[in-house]
Amino acid sequence: MLLVGGYAVGRSFASSGDVLRPGDKPPSFRLADLRGEAHSLEEYAGNPLILNFWGTFCPPCREEMPALQQQYEAWKDQGLQVVGINLSEDKHRAENFIRRIGVSFPILLDTDRRTERAFGLREYPTTYFIDAGGVIRQIVSGPLTIEDIDERVKSLLGKV
Amino acid sequence: MIDWLQISSNAVIVAFLLYCLSFIAYAVAVAGSRFSNREPETHRKKWGNVGLWLAALGWTAHLVYFFARWAGAGHPPVSNLYEFLMALSVAVMLAFFVIRFAYRHPLLGAFALPLTIIMVAYASVFPSEVQPLVPALSSIWLRLHVTLAVLGEAFFAVGFTAALILILRFTDFSRTDKAGRRARFWAEFTLVVIVIVVGFLVAVFGFRAAGYQAEFRQETVTVDQRGNVIEQENRVVYGLPPIFKPYNSETVSMDPFLGMTEPLFETPSWMNGVNAGRKWNTVVWSVIVGLLLYGLLRLLVRKPLGKAIHPYLEGIDPDDLDEISYRAIAIGFPIFTLGALIFAMIWAQIAWSRFWGWDPKEVWALITWLYYSAYLHLRLSRGWQGIRSAWLAAIGFLVVMFTLIGVNLLIAGLHSYAGVS
Amino acid sequence: MALIQNTKCECGHQNPPGTVLCEACGKPLDEELAASDSVLEMRYDGMARRSQKSRPNPIDRVWNFFSSVKVAVWLIITTLVAASLGTIFPQESAFVNLTDPAGYYRETYGTAGAIYYALGLSRTYESWWFITLLVMIGASLVICSLDRVLPLYRALTRQQVRKHLQFITRQQVVYVGPIEGDPGAWTVKFAEILRRRRFKVRTDGTALLAEKNRFSRWGPYVLHIGLIVFLLAVLSRGIPGWYMDEYVGLDDGELEQIPQTKYFVKSLGFSIELYSDEEMPEHLKGELRPKQFITKAVLYECVAWCDDVTRQPELREVASHDIRVNSPLSYRGLRLYQYDFAESPRLISVRPVLVDKRTGESYGPFELPMRHPPLTYSAGPFTLELRDSFPEFGLDENGEPVTLSREPNAPAFVFVIKGPGLPEEGVPYLYFPREADRQRFGQDRINGEAAELFEIRVQSMEDVEFSTYTSYLNVRVDRGMPYVWTGAAICMIGLLMGIYWNHRRIWLRIDDGVLSLGAHTNKNTFGLRAEVAAALAKAGIVVEAKSLDNRRKET
Repeated sequence: MLLVGGYAVGRSFASSGDVLRPGDKPPSFRLADLRGEAHSLEEYAGNPLILNFWGTFCPPCREEMPALQQQYEAWKDQGLQVVGINLSEDKHRAENFIRRIGVSFPILLDTDRRTERAFGLREYPTTYFIDAGGVIRQIVSGPLTIEDIDERVKSLLGKV
Repeated sequence: MIDWLQISSNAVIVAFLLYCLSFIAYAVAVAGSRFSNREPETHRKKWGNVGLWLAALGWTAHLVYFFARWAGAGHPPVSNLYEFLMALSVAVMLAFFVIRFAYRHPLLGAFALPLTIIMVAYASVFPSEVQPLVPALSSIWLRLHVTLAVLGEAFFAVGFTAALILILRFTDFSRTDKAGRRARFWAEFTLVVIVIVVGFLVAVFGFRAAGYQAEFRQETVTVDQRGNVIEQENRVVYGLPPIFKPYNSETVSMDPFLGMTEPLFETPSWMNGVNAGRKWNTVVWSVIVGLLLYGLLRLLVRKPLGKAIHPYLEGIDPDDLDEISYRAIAIGFPIFTLGALIFAMIWAQIAWSRFWGWDPKEVWALITWLYYSAYLHLRLSRGWQGIRSAWLAAIGFLVVMFTLIGVNLLIAGLHSYAGVS
Repeated sequence: MALIQNTKCECGHQNPPGTVLCEACGKPLDEELAASDSVLEMRYDGMARRSQKSRPNPIDRVWNFFSSVKVAVWLIITTLVAASLGTIFPQESAFVNLTDPAGYYRETYGTAGAIYYALGLSRTYESWWFITLLVMIGASLVICSLDRVLPLYRALTRQQVRKHLQFITRQQVVYVGPIEGDPGAWTVKFAEILRRRRFKVRTDGTALLAEKNRFSRWGPYVLHIGLIVFLLAVLSRGIPGWYMDEYVGLDDGELEQIPQTKYFVKSLGFSIELYSDEEMPEHLKGELRPKQFITKAVLYECVAWCDDVTRQPELREVASHDIRVNSPLSYRGLRLYQYDFAESPRLISVRPVLVDKRTGESYGPFELPMRHPPLTYSAGPFTLELRDSFPEFGLDENGEPVTLSREPNAPAFVFVIKGPGLPEEGVPYLYFPREADRQRFGQDRINGEAAELFEIRVQSMEDVEFSTYTSYLNVRVDRGMPYVWTGAAICMIGLLMGIYWNHRRIWLRIDDGVLSLGAHTNKNTFGLRAEVAAALAKAGIVVEAKSLDNRRKET
């Protein structure tokens, strides 16, 4: 009784909402990129990471993509990684858009909304700023400007 | 083609009349024992038996209602509030008969009959048309659940009846010290509440007989996720003159009453929804009519009602009442557990794949169960028997009534927008 | 109180410390108790209980706390009140899709709602303190029962027939009076009378012990065991793999993976059965009322490439069932219930033909699904390559084509048609399967010259697959369920045992022609008095049942 009871009480603390908050570690995932190769979250450990959930159906997502690309080029030599996770659209849709914008950072394809559900996403776009230790530092819902990304990257790198 | 439904509704009227006659017989048994020139015991026994026979006849008519309606509707009549309350009153009479034969107490009927009469009248407030069942409702487990829950609650009701007699018997109306006054206050309060319930019935049936009607319209504007503006118009019909009209509504039509041609007040905004307004108005009317009735009664007897009834109960043995009350509740408890909890869980598991969903109705059934289990545990201790136990039984009945009616009306009602009747 | 209690009774039996009534003869051990005249407290027949030790150590304190009935009642009442608080406003769990709980409660219920949410009451039943309450009740159940059942068992199984006179005359139901004739014979005759009333009777000379329905005493403990099993089963939902509660929404023909499992489910079609006019009562005839909701479902298991995101998983059909409201699809503990449906008319797929306007020939048809369309199609000598698709076609502020959502509400496809008589790079062609969209966006105008070369159209309604409804299924795994029902059944048995039967015992002894009879029951003394009076009447002693009641002599 004590064992099961204690476990149940403990779990009730843990499941106080499935929404991720800064300070949490993001749930693991394993998704295919546009070339068909699989990548998992663990691959990106050791360096700061910007994880951006986007879709072609979401106007603010489309608007912020060039800013993300620009910041990626500006900071990638200092170790910044940027990964875009497409919200379960057909591959050709994502490819067309990426090609048009000229995105060079990796794009992963979520399927069946699994990863967005695991992250508890409520709005699009949502961008996670994750430090080198794998801990989420900031979560931003809504479009980002170059300046928004810039100041957050600086603090991420500052914490290396 | 036999018109079962017509037979059924006629049977209800017959049952109701017989129950009223039975109550009169019991009242004679209780009251007359002071005036009759026979020995009180024999007088009580004789009139008690008359009352019992009349009650039995009434119950037979009541059973005719039940089975005739079953034949007419094609399913056992326990599927809407009207049918449910009727079934409850049938069960209360059954529980009464069981306890009556176990304990041979001639005066239990004097209080049990009015309870049944009030319940039958209360049931008749609600719409009684037969409805075909929604897919989720067509299961035998549901019927078992409702039937047994009703039976268990009926025993709790009889337990409450005995407890009420005990309270009135025990409360010393001549005491003037603080504890005594508090006891008198609460006993009288209980009677006032009962009178208010009667007031509700008088108000509803009175205005229904007069054909009173007032209609209101409320418009709500909501914006959905896509940005589309949805306008909804909800209408509600009042059967009682509107002291309180629904929040943010317009009068469509209104029969005048006592020179009143406009609603007096508007329901506060936190009771939003047209039906919340109607229910609040009904509550206010019940209190007004109930208090008027109470005032009249007090004028008649010129003392608190409890004090007026008390002398007639002097011959009753309080220990016996205590035992009757306890046994009724003890008998009802396993039935209630099986019906209201276990069969409910089985049915919920089959229909919705969740045997327990913490929804208000389920939670209040659990609360009722926990309450009565606390009652049974407390009775293990000597200090809790007697009058304290009686008050617990009375409060327990309140919990039962809330579970049955309050949850439907209040909890769903406060958040009800249109369409929920 | 003396440090060393004298626990040896005058009858010679040595009692453990803490015993109230001698285990053998029933004489009250405490001097004060022995001197008084009050009705004896017969709980556990006066045996010593662990929780009554005089010098509790910390474990004993915990034990005493949980074994107390008062504490148990407080726990019950607290749980009761807490549960009622959770019904004031709807709980978070009542909503399938609550995006901003704090905002919702504040906006809908005002300040009261904001406070409700802040206190955590919107999640009452999942909160740590509520679960703690349940665990405490569980602990109380265990400890209360253990504390009492052992002494009770000892008390009831080692009963001596001849009891001390005080024991007998201080029971709840007592009769003392003279008898005539031979005491031994009277005892034997009375024993017979009692046996016929289904008592188990033991005699010891002129002393007698009659007992009935002892099993009823175990009722409460059986009930408690049942509750413990039930609680454990409910709490066991926390064990990984034991519990799942997910929702899957399927259009007709759609296949989806059940989250966190290797299973996939496909809907072959959702339909609503209505009540026929014959089944409806008079005043409702002509109205449409639903009688049953049915989803024809097929369950698949993934057998290969299940975790490989770069490949399509290979599926094998394992079960199929017409899921109705009271009839789920059941497979190895996995259950799919018909939960809800929504009217969402949607195109599933079309089979159009490609018409070469120059020759008038039509080629194909080819299958074009709205979701996950493949990238190439062939129609006769022509190939169509899919360049882009828009599930819900629209134009952004620059007039560029975009999709407004991920749902195929207004599908559009951009093909590049290659084949004989066409330039090498192919001819681009925008195709709207729905006529309404085609008109609205001016398909022919956009396609320009290509529109004069080709037409892609559907020949008849037979070539259109449509879904009118989205069916929502509730997927559940609950391995704790069998234990839930077991616990519930044990509870009921315990309740029935404990409440509908009473444990009755009658002791008597005859000393110098005087019969002393004492009787005890755990409940329903009214019935016990009636039974004793009836038995005595049969033995020639007529008494009114009421006079046997020994409790009235005290205030």
